[in-house]
Amino acid sequence: MNDLWSNLNGSPSPQKSGEIGVVTRGSLTEGVEMKLNPERSVEDVKAGKFVVIDGYKNQFFSMITDLTLDATNPEILLYPPHDGDQLLHSVLNGSSTYVTVALRPMLMLEQGEEIVDESRPVKTIPSHFSKVLEAEEEDVSRVFGSEEKDDRFFNMGTPLDMDTPVCINLNRFVERSNGIFGKTGTGKSFLTRLALCGLIKNKKAVNLIFDMHNEYGFRAMKEGGNGSSFVKGLKQLFGNQVALFSLDPESSRERGIQPDHEVYISYDQVAVEDVIALQDELQLNPTASESAYLIYAQYKNRWLRQLLSLDGPDVEQFAEDIGANKSSLSAIHRKLKRIENFPFMVNKLEGSDAVDTMMDYIERGIHIVLEFGRQTSMLAYLLVANILARRIHEQYVSKSEKFYATQNPEDQPKHLVITIEEAHKFLNPATAKQTIFGTIAREMRKYYVSLLVVDQRPSGIDEEILSQLGTKITALLNDEKDIAGVLTGVANASGLRSVLASLDSKQQALVFGHAVPMPVVIKTRDYDEAFYKAMGYLSEEEKMEKAEEASAAVFGD
Amino acid sequence: MSLAQIDLEEFIGEIIESSTSQFMSECRELNGAPPFGSFIKTAGALPVYGLVFNVCTHSIEPNRRATAYGLTEQELREEQPQIFELLKTEFEAVIIGHGDDRGPQQVLPPQPPGIHSFVFPCSESEIKALTSSGDFLRSILCGNRLPADDLLIASVRNAWAARAFDMPYLVSIGKDLCRLIRDDYDRLSSIMRRISN
Repeated sequence: MNDLWSNLNGSPSPQKSGEIGVVTRGSLTEGVEMKLNPERSVEDVKAGKFVVIDGYKNQFFSMITDLTLDATNPEILLYPPHDGDQLLHSVLNGSSTYVTVALRPMLMLEQGEEIVDESRPVKTIPSHFSKVLEAEEEDVSRVFGSEEKDDRFFNMGTPLDMDTPVCINLNRFVERSNGIFGKTGTGKSFLTRLALCGLIKNKKAVNLIFDMHNEYGFRAMKEGGNGSSFVKGLKQLFGNQVALFSLDPESSRERGIQPDHEVYISYDQVAVEDVIALQDELQLNPTASESAYLIYAQYKNRWLRQLLSLDGPDVEQFAEDIGANKSSLSAIHRKLKRIENFPFMVNKLEGSDAVDTMMDYIERGIHIVLEFGRQTSMLAYLLVANILARRIHEQYVSKSEKFYATQNPEDQPKHLVITIEEAHKFLNPATAKQTIFGTIAREMRKYYVSLLVVDQRPSGIDEEILSQLGTKITALLNDEKDIAGVLTGVANASGLRSVLASLDSKQQALVFGHAVPMPVVIKTRDYDEAFYKAMGYLSEEEKMEKAEEASAAVFGD
Repeated sequence: MSLAQIDLEEFIGEIIESSTSQFMSECRELNGAPPFGSFIKTAGALPVYGLVFNVCTHSIEPNRRATAYGLTEQELREEQPQIFELLKTEFEAVIIGHGDDRGPQQVLPPQPPGIHSFVFPCSESEIKALTSSGDFLRSILCGNRLPADDLLIASVRNAWAARAFDMPYLVSIGKDLCRLIRDDYDRLSSIMRRISN
């Protein structure tokens, strides 16, 4: 008899697809409510699941956002059937006690209609008692496209409890600045690596990655599983298509990596804006920038070198000379002295300028990973990223302006995506308006440069910038402020909030925004041998085999 | 089921009072009434199906009552056998459906069953057809002068027994009942408990 009971209370292994309930109420603004089919166990229905509401004329692709236990009679809740009374329990299940599931329709398609490039918002709701079905494989590929269809599409993972790939549209992905968020240890850098692989493999944009923790270029640690293991970096996967730059060549060599270039920065390349970007990190007060501009007015490019060359007592005299506030100037002097400790800061550059080399690579479509080695201080990261990005952006502005003038397709600059980590340091409300990254995030692709923002504290990022991010890929976030931050600029965010808070802490992410037709929770694609293969990576034996085949083809056996 | 298939010798009573919703029959034998809550039918071209809700035994003369003798039934039968001839057993049934060429329908008959028609117990297949949905519960709950709860319990037990005490059936009937009694939780739990005991 026990079998009977378990069947009545929702079969333990329900069929893969089928009706899970009917729509009972709803509104366009609040979303739709469905009564769960009593034959289904509520425990099989998870927040974030992708379902299809089969309306009369339209299909509504929806996400489960909330689940509620309900009873028609409050007395049942006061005197619940006692433990052994399974009959009463089964009788009540689905009649007097029932489960309502909140659904958020995200995308509406006419029955049989194919999705077009521009996603359309949901403008109506399904009629009463429309069936709610589990999404099937073809629904997923109909909505999200598939890699076979087009090289725009890149497989990021699969929906919950399904095996069909969910693809993001890379063309649309690079059209805007994007964000990847998540608490520490939720797989942000794996998600980032995945997105970067997509961009590199399908040649949608050139990447410049400010790799603070040395995890993108060469091998990186993989957490969990049986102890720690290493996964392949971009350089290993894509070989010549990726160039490794290093700020700390010694550290790179110690890790057994030969960087393609070493990066040095001369004091003369530091602009006042770069220092303003460090405001938070150095705890400069607002007058510091004014003092810096005063020095700049007199010494132009040499301003920093001039300032740092002074010794303690001379600073006051210097302040008097240029008409700056003494205490403010000595504060900025004292604080900027830290820069002198960085080994990559030099008085005069030997060899070519790093930015010129980078531009050269970018023009040839080669992606750049800048490793920071042991220079993991936030100050170094901010300083270098700001200086390089500002100068590259300058070049991009003039290049794109040239292209606008000539309209010659050859002059069209290659689209550049700059990846920054700890983005809230660059884009916090205090500095975002003044730093180069704030500018890039706001002006979008006008100048062919966009950002890929990686961060664990999205609430620290300026709201204006968060709302301008096109696609957001978000792993688990717990903090209410962070969740609210990520959902800034998203219509009807309330449903996504609960989904976001209920993600698994590993390998799950919510993807929403410009590059996907509707928000979706994915189990992220495995970063393993199969993935390497899909990216075109060949192991040593395979390379040998291929070489032999090629030589056989040329010379005969 | 057609008349020909019924063994007329098997009848258990004869209708002595009839209306659209209820009928009364006199038993063929004293104390030979069908059990309370059992499914019965009348013979005829349009069989009528009913549910026994009341059984009574009394004197055949309306103005006379039986008298207490202070003897056991055995002693009475030996000493005063004639008094048993002066008694009769009657039973009343609520009509829950009638049969047509498609089989039993859970709808009241167009005409009440004829007086002096014979009454028979329903077969298992007829019980199953009559109780395939919870509509018969509604006839019970809406009827006049019926001991609704006890009749529900007895009839559902019979229907359940006809299905070899199949649990999913009982659950589905329970759900119908739950709706019909408008979520009266106490009543539902008491009824369900008594059915399953």
